[in-house]
Amino acid sequence: MSLSTHTTPSGFLLPSIHSAPAFFTEQPNPTTQSSATEQWTRLILTYARHRKLFVLRVEDAESTDSDWSEILRNERINRMFRLHLHAFQRSSSPVGRILPNHLSNIISNMVSKNLAAYEPPKQTRSALIFWRLPEEWAEILYDWVVSIGQLNTILTFYDITDPPVESPLTNIPVPLLRRAISILGKTGRSQMIAIADGEGVRFLARSK
Amino acid sequence: MGGNQSLPKITAQDRAILDLKLQRDKLRQYQKKIQGVLDREHAIAKAQIASGQKDRALIALRRRKYQQSLLTKTDEQLMNLEQLVSTIEFSLVEVSVLHGLKQGNEVLKQIHKEMNIESVEKLLEETAEAREYQREIGDMLSNTLTLDDEEAVQRELLSLQQDVLAETNKDVQLPSVPSEEPARNEAPAQGISEEPQPATRNKVLVPG
Repeated sequence: MSLSTHTTPSGFLLPSIHSAPAFFTEQPNPTTQSSATEQWTRLILTYARHRKLFVLRVEDAESTDSDWSEILRNERINRMFRLHLHAFQRSSSPVGRILPNHLSNIISNMVSKNLAAYEPPKQTRSALIFWRLPEEWAEILYDWVVSIGQLNTILTFYDITDPPVESPLTNIPVPLLRRAISILGKTGRSQMIAIADGEGVRFLARSK
Repeated sequence: MGGNQSLPKITAQDRAILDLKLQRDKLRQYQKKIQGVLDREHAIAKAQIASGQKDRALIALRRRKYQQSLLTKTDEQLMNLEQLVSTIEFSLVEVSVLHGLKQGNEVLKQIHKEMNIESVEKLLEETAEAREYQREIGDMLSNTLTLDDEEAVQRELLSLQQDVLAETNKDVQLPSVPSEEPARNEAPAQGISEEPQPATRNKVLVPG
């Protein structure tokens, strides 16, 4: 069986391993399994960066029309199996898709490597995907604020996540934004302001 | 680094600005919601025309019109809010400009205090004196004679002059050399000086 790369409708180039049926099942051999998990981690991070996706849920493995379907399932494998294994024709072959349990394990592995964080915390069904580390987001946030000349003014979270002109931070989830702001706060570059109605943040010039 | 002390204080103004901005965000979100409603009513009207229910389509369109008027109203409110926020922020800038001007004025005053007219006059006077002094030194150095030397020279000159004058006077008063041998004359004319002599001689002669 020949494995080849494939370009998805969203313009993402899937690696050749994505065409291997074994890639979608958990491997009994721990070495193989850990290498497959590494491949999955890389695939998830690059795809998230490509589509600017921030949240991955375990349930994404089950639905056919989630943002992640392009990588979490591979219908071409199913089609191929139906052609080859017509003797064992099953209506819903689990071959060409990742199982929720498997995805949950991958997510937990990513969380342990600080490449993701459960959000909201204290559950394991959905996680923020760090295709940029919070520290990197912090720098991007600060550079953006400087570039639009908004130092020393008070911004609301909505100002940042939904600016009139699209920015690298458009649609960033508030929990991730909070992390970035608190990282900047450690070097005295941000200040949170809270009132009864909500919160705001003020960015300050680098004090050096 | 990291010290909260370096952060500016959150003033009541800051809170007020944040409050305004949060209200503005709410209006924007409300607009988004209305836009969604508009699209939905449009879709409903379309579907009902397709199924031949003209009355219902009309109702949907009326609802849509009403929502549209709401959208225009919120637009006006949004503009008011944004104007207020801009005015406040501009006033803050003005305050800081005023502060800067005040400080500059203060510095200028301080500098002027250090160089008042009297001290400048005194300084100029001292400079003139110093220049005079310098000139004297220069003069002295150029003709190496001291005042005493000069006086001595002057005295010498004077005495020389007197000598010369005396000599010329002597020449003038010199009597002419007599051309004949002086004749011994014991005439009474000479006797004036010799008279006492004969007297004493006479005296001697008498006892002798």
